[in-house]
This record gives sequence, structure tokens and C-alpha cells, in this order.
Amino acid sequence: MTDWNALSDAEFRAEIRGFFEAEYPEELRHLSHRPKFAEIEHWHVKLHAKGWVAPAWPTEYGGMGLEAAKLLIYYEEQQRYGVNRGRDMGIQMVGPLIIKFGTQEQKDYWLPRILSCENIWCQGYSEPGAGSDLANLRTSAVIDGDDFVINGQKIWTTMAHDATHIFMLVRTNQNTERKQQGISFILAEMDQPGVEVRTITTLAGETEFCEVFFDDARTPRANLVGEIDKGWTMAKALLSFERIFIGNPGLAQNALAQLETFAKGRGAFDDAVFRDRFATVALDVEDHAALYSRFADQLKRGETLGADVSMLKIWVTETYQRITELMIEVAGPDGGTLGPLQVGNIGVDVLSSFYKARPSTIYGGANEIQRNILSKAVLGL
Amino acid sequence: MTTEQDEDLRLLRDSVSKLLDRAGGVGRARRVRDDGAGWDATVWGELADAGVLGVATPEEAGGLGMGLPAAGVIAEEIGRVIAPEPVVPCVALGIGLLHRLCPDDPALENAIAGQAVLAVAWQERGPSGVSDAVDCEFSGGTLTGSKDWVMGLGDDAPVLVIAKSSDGLALVRVAADAKGLTKKAARQSDGSSLAALNFSATPAEVLAEGAAVSTALADAIADATALTAAELVGLSSASLTLTLEYIKTREQFDKPIGSFQVIQHRAVDMQLMLEIAEAGVRESLAAMENAPNPQARARQASRAKARAATAAQNITREAIQLHGAVGYTDEFDVGLLLNRALVLSAWLGDAAYHRRRWLEAREAEEAAQ
Repeated sequence: MTDWNALSDAEFRAEIRGFFEAEYPEELRHLSHRPKFAEIEHWHVKLHAKGWVAPAWPTEYGGMGLEAAKLLIYYEEQQRYGVNRGRDMGIQMVGPLIIKFGTQEQKDYWLPRILSCENIWCQGYSEPGAGSDLANLRTSAVIDGDDFVINGQKIWTTMAHDATHIFMLVRTNQNTERKQQGISFILAEMDQPGVEVRTITTLAGETEFCEVFFDDARTPRANLVGEIDKGWTMAKALLSFERIFIGNPGLAQNALAQLETFAKGRGAFDDAVFRDRFATVALDVEDHAALYSRFADQLKRGETLGADVSMLKIWVTETYQRITELMIEVAGPDGGTLGPLQVGNIGVDVLSSFYKARPSTIYGGANEIQRNILSKAVLGL
Repeated sequence: MTTEQDEDLRLLRDSVSKLLDRAGGVGRARRVRDDGAGWDATVWGELADAGVLGVATPEEAGGLGMGLPAAGVIAEEIGRVIAPEPVVPCVALGIGLLHRLCPDDPALENAIAGQAVLAVAWQERGPSGVSDAVDCEFSGGTLTGSKDWVMGLGDDAPVLVIAKSSDGLALVRVAADAKGLTKKAARQSDGSSLAALNFSATPAEVLAEGAAVSTALADAIADATALTAAELVGLSSASLTLTLEYIKTREQFDKPIGSFQVIQHRAVDMQLMLEIAEAGVRESLAAMENAPNPQARARQASRAKARAATAAQNITREAIQLHGAVGYTDEFDVGLLLNRALVLSAWLGDAAYHRRRWLEAREAEEAAQ
């Protein structure tokens, strides 16, 4: 088996890029919606055969065993070529948790099924009363013989209508001092009488988010991962890599390239006002990438990232939004038109980009929450 | 960048910042301003002794040969205490032109040793701001025309002038007391002066002529622009530091004002602007070291100045607001930083100018490909 970490960054990047360019289906590049599994299954089969489904997992569990710096390159190339992440909740969230906290039986049973996508996962974290204040969650799991009985409601569950399983944070103890205590991490099947899924239609007219209702749903006690009542700390432990990746420049860089193509086609570069605004956002992207490199270099040196890494997420998502807003201005009277707008022989879906940028300042910890964290942890306020 | 280089830069930063703190920190800028002396000759000598002035001059020309990233470190530290000494103009323009065009002229060694502060007069005033052309003419050993926005010109110091000659551009030297030279100082918001010079058949000594002068001038201006950006980064950092200290101690409604979320979020945004500026400017300086052509160097310099000027203006203005009424007094140091930011942002082009230049350079590079 190849030791990917032994390659130079450039060699590794070339390897990844070469595979994506040769094998990734053209019709799936830069998808503007989140696909159901059936739509991307043919790609997943190739990726699985190559052994590249789980870049971050250790090789003994079927992953690529990439160190953080190589992992960043993998994701940068994925984003650059517009390779869909696939249905990766199992890969990104459940697998690492089981690898770190699960029993041998759980590893043997679940990990191969995650890799093959025999099981497709969705994430049950947020609730109507637990968004930014996630620890306020109330969905309960009560022990009944060999099972947990689950009651409550999850929301913003991405692609729950196309998932076979859900991993969730549930309250297993009502009598704790702090609300972060008494939360457990459990796995459950979606296809059972006590689980009901309703899709939520977004501003963009899409239905990728769902509400999931639990009414005496059941899952075996063996599906508890880690210690009971200790789920909060475990879930937080998973987020360290997430915190730099969510601030990567990819989305903003792709949007900027799209803006440039569109603006050239529309002759906007003849307009002095547009030129200044374009230069502003382009430099916002370029200088963000410089800061991102500084954090990535820290990872390469094997250092642990501090709380200040959240700055990346704030800056890149707000820049991303400004870029898509500028695209709408360039569209002029077509600014409210759905679907691709033609410039030359290229279609640019301005509204789709605009919509996609909106929730970026909300998900992954709203930017206001990120500012709270930075203020406390970095500025000492 | 290797860790050895990192370590060199760290040591350099350490020694320069210690020297400047010993000299008096931010508050010194107020004293020097009130004395009206322009800068402190003793501090200038100490900076020269520390090797600061020759940091970016190649070793074979008598410098340290540490390159632009090292000069950037110095500029950041100069900015952090808003030292009134004209380090960036002298290092990037005066010394920068001499080491490129006439490395054997004794003036270079003198300048690096701190014995003369070398100001360069290159811009000219047109009907609506900076003129694109050089009209100041050198012929038959004399200079006629005018120059403006000369930073760091001492009373008794000679001045280097860019003039047009029969062979393109020329770099000439004019003595401080030369016949037909008149000087007018425009007082700046930070107490410093920008000089406007008029030459009327003024005797001048030619140092270099021809295409090499244009190339060296473009490089020197790019360096000065990017290093001024680094100075603005240091200044912004000082402004934020003062502001954080203030909002942690100033109490209203029985609490430090820094405990209010609206203040916290504004402070985070200042920090964010600073970090982005620091990362961007440092990356630009490193890229300029290895830039494939003058266009790419100029683009990086414009990127740096556009970012740093924007950050410094925003941060120093926010700093005044978060200080409240005392921020509007001369007694508090944050005001000094704002006044200095105004001068450094305007000198060599403000943010809007450099965004325009950046985009033009980017388009020119694309077209050339």
C-alpha cells in the first residue's frame, strides 16, 4: 500500500489531481445541489475500489491515513475540480468517532459498511430549541431492556430522506449540573415505525434539509458509542480539523472565478465602479488564502491549531457572500432570474451561487458565535 | 521559508523592537512632533548601528543582504511605535536606488552607516494630483523643474532627484544649499513634512542615466510601497493593542466595556482585519523577492498597500470610537496612530489607487501569457 505521507506535497497533489481529472464524471462536476446517493453511486464505486473514500481514516480501517497537511491538499483538489463530497457524513463524522471511542465490535460492524455506503448516514444534532445553543438539546433516549427508546425532534438534518442511519446526540440524563452533561452519542436506523422524516424547502427551492421526528423509536443499547452521558466532549473532540477546513478558500475562489467569467461576458470590466469592487473581493480572497496558508503551515509542522483559526471561517464566508452579491449586480435586470444566464457559450447560474452562499455564515457555528469564541479565547474579553 | 530564516527574522524583530522601545515607544512620536525636529538623530544612528538601513542591500554592496521580508520585519516594528525616523523612504528609495544604480558611490556607504538621510524626489504635481510624466529636466549640469511629496528630507541633506535627460531618465544629486533650489514644506497630520522642491538652473551631479534608471526606480517604488504597507501593519497592531487594553479596563454600567458583545464583535473584526493584512503583506513581500518580472513585483506591492491602508484606516478609526471621547484627545496615543495612518496611507498611493493598479497589472500579466 502506498505511503501517501511519504510523497512530497507536489507529488501528492499531482496524484490526487490526476485521478480526479481522469476518473471523475464530467456531468457531476460542480453540482449546484446535494445529490442523492443513486445519482453519484457510479463515482462512489470507483472511489471505493481505489481505496480513497476515507482520506483521513487510518489505513488499518480502510482509510488513506493522511496527515493533516496532506488531507488539506486532498480536499483542496476535490473542491478545485468540483468533485462532489458524496454522502460523506459517515466518513466525516461517524467513522472517526467510532475509531476513536467505539468498541472492537462496533468498528468491525460499522466501518466497512460506511466505506461501501451500504449504510448512508445523516447527522442528528440540531433541534428546534438547540441551534447555536446546541447543548440545550432535549431529544431523549431512555433505557428499556436492551434498547434505548427515543423521543423528540431533530431539525436541519441534511439529506435525512436519503439516509439509512442517523447518528445523534440525545439526552440520557435529565438531572445534571450543566446541560453539556447527560448527553450521549447513539446510532439508530431510519427505517422503523417510530421515525418520521419531513423535508424542508429552502429559499433556493431545494429540499436537502429535513425534520426528523422520533416517537418511541428504538435502537439497541449496543449502538451507544463511547460512555453514556459523555457524548458532548466526544462530539467536540471531532471538530479540530473541521475548524480549519471550514475556513478554506475553495468556495470563495470558485465563486470569484465564476464572477470573473460572468463579468467578462457582460462587459462589466469596462465599468470603473465594478473594477474597484472586483479588485476588493479578489484581494479579500487572495489575502485570506495567505492567512489560510499560515494555519496550514502550522499543521504541517505538527502544531495544534488554536481558537484563532475560526477567523478563517468568518472572513471566507463573508467574502463568499459579497462575491455572489456582486454577481447579482452584474446580472442587472436578470438578477432575479432562476437558472443559468448565458454569457457566450457558458451558462452561469448566478442565483444558485447566491443562495449557496447564504447559509455559509450560519452553518458550522454561526459567524456571531465564532466572534463570541474569538473574543473570549483570543482577545481575552 | 526555512526555519533558519524564520529564526533570523525573529532575532532581527527582537533587536529592533527593543531598540525602539528603549527610545520611547509610541509616545516618543508626540515629543518629536512637538519639538519640530522631524526625527531624532540619535535614534537614527542607533538604527544604523543595528544594521537596519542596509538590511535589504546586497552584501556585495555593503548591506546585510537579508531581502525584503527582513526589511518588512523592520518596517512593522517601526510602525508599531510610529517611529518618526524616515526608515522606509531611506531604505527603499534612497539606498535602494543607489545600490541598484551606483553601488560604488561613497554616498551609499554613508547612508547605510547613518551619516546621511537620503531623500528621493521623484513625483511631480500635475493639475489634478500626481503627474504621470517627468518634466523636471537635467541638461548641461543643471536641473530645472519641480518635485513634490518628498518624504524624509533633512535641512542640510542633499536630495536625489529623478529627472528627464537626453538619455531617458537620470538620477542626479542636488546639494542642500544649491543655487536656485527652493523648498516648501507641507505639514502633515502626524507632524512630519512632505517637501515640495523647485529647481531653477540648479547645479546637479549626475549619478546614473538611461533605461537602468527607469527599472531601478520602478523596483524602488514597489519596495517602498510594500514596506510602507508593512509599516501600516505594525501601526494597526499597536492601535488594536491599545484598544484592547482600554476596553478591558474602562468601566461603564459597572462593567468593563469589553464585556459588552457589541464591543467584542467590533474588536474581533479589528483583529481579523489585522491578521489578514499581516498575512497578505508578508506574503507579498516574500513573493516580490522571487517575482519573475517587474509587473508581478508591482502587482504584489499594490496588493500589499491596498490591504494595509484599508486595514489601518479602519482599525485606527474604530480604535477612536471604542475609546470614546478620550480617543479624540491628543493626550491618548491612539490618536497619534490615526494621524500617522493618514500620512502613510496617502503616501505612494491610497487603497483605491492601488486596487486599480493591482487589477491593471493582473490584466497586463494575463494578456502577456
